[in-house]
Amino acid sequence: MGLLSKKSLIFLFIIPILGGLVFSPLFLPLPKILADMTPTSVTVTISGPVCGDSIREGTEQCDGSDLGSQGCVSLGYTSGTLACYTAGMPNQCTFNTSGCVTRGSGGTGGTGGGRSGVYIPPVAVTKVIIQGKAYPSSLITVLQDGKAVTTVRADSLANFRVEIADITAGTYTFGLWGKDKEGRKSITSSFTVTVSKKGSTTISGILLPPTIELEKTSLQKGKILNILGQTGSQSEVSIFINSSAKEIIKRETKARTDGKWFYAFDTTILEEGSYTVQAKSLTSTFSQTLAFTIGEAGGKTGPKGADINKDGKVNLVDFSILLYNWNIPKNTMADLNYDGKVNLVDFSIMLYYWTG
Amino acid sequence: MNFNKFLIFSITILWTFLPLGAGAVSFYLEPSEGQYQAGDTILVEIKIDTEGKCVNAVKADLSFSQILNAVDFSRGQSIITLWVQPPKINQEKGEISFSGGIPGGYCGRIPGDPGASNLLGKIIFKIPGMIVGEAEENSVEVKFLDTSQVLLNDGLGTVAELTTQEAIFKIVPQRTEPLKEGWSEEIKKDVFSPEPFQIKIQQEPTAFEGKYFITFLTTDKQTGLDYYEIKEGENNWERTRSPYLLKDQRLQSIIKVRAVDKAGNERIAEYIPGILKKTFPYWIILLILGGGGVVWRFIRKPRTSK
Repeated sequence: MGLLSKKSLIFLFIIPILGGLVFSPLFLPLPKILADMTPTSVTVTISGPVCGDSIREGTEQCDGSDLGSQGCVSLGYTSGTLACYTAGMPNQCTFNTSGCVTRGSGGTGGTGGGRSGVYIPPVAVTKVIIQGKAYPSSLITVLQDGKAVTTVRADSLANFRVEIADITAGTYTFGLWGKDKEGRKSITSSFTVTVSKKGSTTISGILLPPTIELEKTSLQKGKILNILGQTGSQSEVSIFINSSAKEIIKRETKARTDGKWFYAFDTTILEEGSYTVQAKSLTSTFSQTLAFTIGEAGGKTGPKGADINKDGKVNLVDFSILLYNWNIPKNTMADLNYDGKVNLVDFSIMLYYWTG
Repeated sequence: MNFNKFLIFSITILWTFLPLGAGAVSFYLEPSEGQYQAGDTILVEIKIDTEGKCVNAVKADLSFSQILNAVDFSRGQSIITLWVQPPKINQEKGEISFSGGIPGGYCGRIPGDPGASNLLGKIIFKIPGMIVGEAEENSVEVKFLDTSQVLLNDGLGTVAELTTQEAIFKIVPQRTEPLKEGWSEEIKKDVFSPEPFQIKIQQEPTAFEGKYFITFLTTDKQTGLDYYEIKEGENNWERTRSPYLLKDQRLQSIIKVRAVDKAGNERIAEYIPGILKKTFPYWIILLILGGGGVVWRFIRKPRTSK
C-alpha cells in the first residue's frame, strides 16, 4: 500500500461501485423492438388420475359415486348394487362387486351362473387443456407444432378454454392467435411444453397480446395518429412508439368493458421519419409491430408481413415459397426485409407472423 | 471491517452490479463432460437457454474431434418444428450443422413444465471399438462454431447475442464398465409411428414457376423423424422433402408420402386425385331399374295379348 493511501483506495472502489449502480441500467439491453418478454403468467399443471376426487379419469374404473355408467348388470351380473373401492383402500378406484348377485338359471340344467360380457377399463387419454383470456367474443385459432388444429370462441368476458385430446406424449409447441370483433388478428403467442403420458396437461394463465391497428400509416408531423385495438375487458394498455434512434415513447390507456381500446397520439413531438408501434396489456406479450411514417420519409415502411401468397394465412405454403426462393430470390415477394437475399432473417420474420 | 474485508466486499459488489453482458442466449451441450470407453455411445443433447428472450430461428454449426464417429442425429423431442436445413453430418470434416425454427417463437421454459423443453437435437457419437495407436487417454471436444446464430422473435429477424459452451469427454482405452448403448435402447423402445399428417397440393405463381407442388409436415415424438419418401403413381419410392414439385402436373396419379422415424416406424399419407376417387356406382341402380323394366314388360306382354 505504499503508493496509495487507504482513503484513495477506498475511493477507487467506491466510485466504480456507485457508477455501476447508477449507470448499469443504461447498459441493459434496450427493448429495441420489445420482444424480450417472457409470458410469465403462464403455468403448466399436470394432473394424472386422482383417486378420491369423485371424478373417474385415466385408468380409474370408478371414483366415489362416479361409476362411469356401469352397474352390476352391465358387468355381467344378474342384479345387485355396484360400488367403488374408496381412496386409501387396496384396489382403490376399482369396482367393488361384492354387492352384485349372480343367480343361477335355476331348475334343470343351470349354467351355474356364468357371467357374460367383459369389462374393458377406460383407456387413459393423454390430453392438453389450454385456457386464458383473449378479447370478448373473439375467435381463437390453436396451433399444434405450427399447424392450425382447432378454433374456439372466447366468451363475453374474453375467457377461453380448449381441449386437445388423444395426443402423443412428447414436446409440443402450442400457438394461439385471436381475431377480434373487427377482424384484426393478434400475433401468435407460443408455448413449448412437455406433454405427459396418460394425464392431463393444463396450460393456464395465457393472456393474448392486444390486437392493434393504425388509422393511417403515413401522416404529416403534428397530425393525430389514432391507434386502436382490442384486449381484455377494462385492461390497462401500454403503447410503445419506437424510432430508429432507439428513442421509445410510452403512452397508456384503458380498454372499455367490451375490450376496445383507443389512443389519439399527437405526432407533434416526432421528427420526420419511420416509426414502429406496439402495444401490450398488463402481463401479455407485445402485440404485432406496425409501422408508420411522418412527413415525406416514404420508401421502406417497415414490416410487410410474411403472407407471400396473400391468402390471409402465413403457413407451410409461404414457408415452401420461401425455401424455393432461398438465397437469391427468384421472386422479390419472398424477400421479406428487402435486402436482396432470402435467408434466416426472412425465415425469422415469417415465423413471427405465422398463423398456421 | 478491516481493509481486506472491505476490499473483498467492494469487489463482490462491483462484480455483482457491473453489466456483464448478461441476458445473452446460450447454446450448450449435455453432458458437457464425462469419461467413456472405446465402443461406447455418447448421446450429446444440444440445448438452448434463451435467458428470458423470445427467439424463433436457430442455426447451429458444431465441430467434433474426428476420433468420434457421429453416427446419427435425433430430432425427437426437439423444439424445432420447421427445418430449413435438416441435420447434416460431415464426418470427414468433423462437422454437424442444422437450422430451423419455431412458429410463434420460443420464450424458454414455462413454470410447471415437467420437461426441460429446450432441446434442439441430439447427436449420437460412437467411439470406435479400437482406437489405433492410442494406449493413453484421449480428450475429445464437441464445440459450436462462430457461424451459429439465434434470431429474436421480433418481426425483424434481429440476430441475438449468443454464447456457447463446449463439451469435453475423456476416452479411456481399457474397458472397466459395461458398454454404454443409450441410443440402441431408445430405438428399441420406440414402437410409435410419426404423427399423422396430410399432403396438400399447391399452385403458386411465386414458386416452381406456377407448377403444382405438394407440402407436408409431421414430427415424431420419440426417436425423431429420419426421412420422407414419395411415390407418384407407378413410380418407385424416392427420398424427398417438402415442398416437392410434382412430376405428374396433370394431377392424375395417386401420391403417397411416407414419413419414417429413426426406429424405422412409418406413417403414410395419401392423396387420391378427384378423378380417381371411387364414387357410388349409380350405374348399377340404372341397370337394375332398366333390367326391372324389361322384365316387367316381358311379364305383362302375354296378358295384353289375350
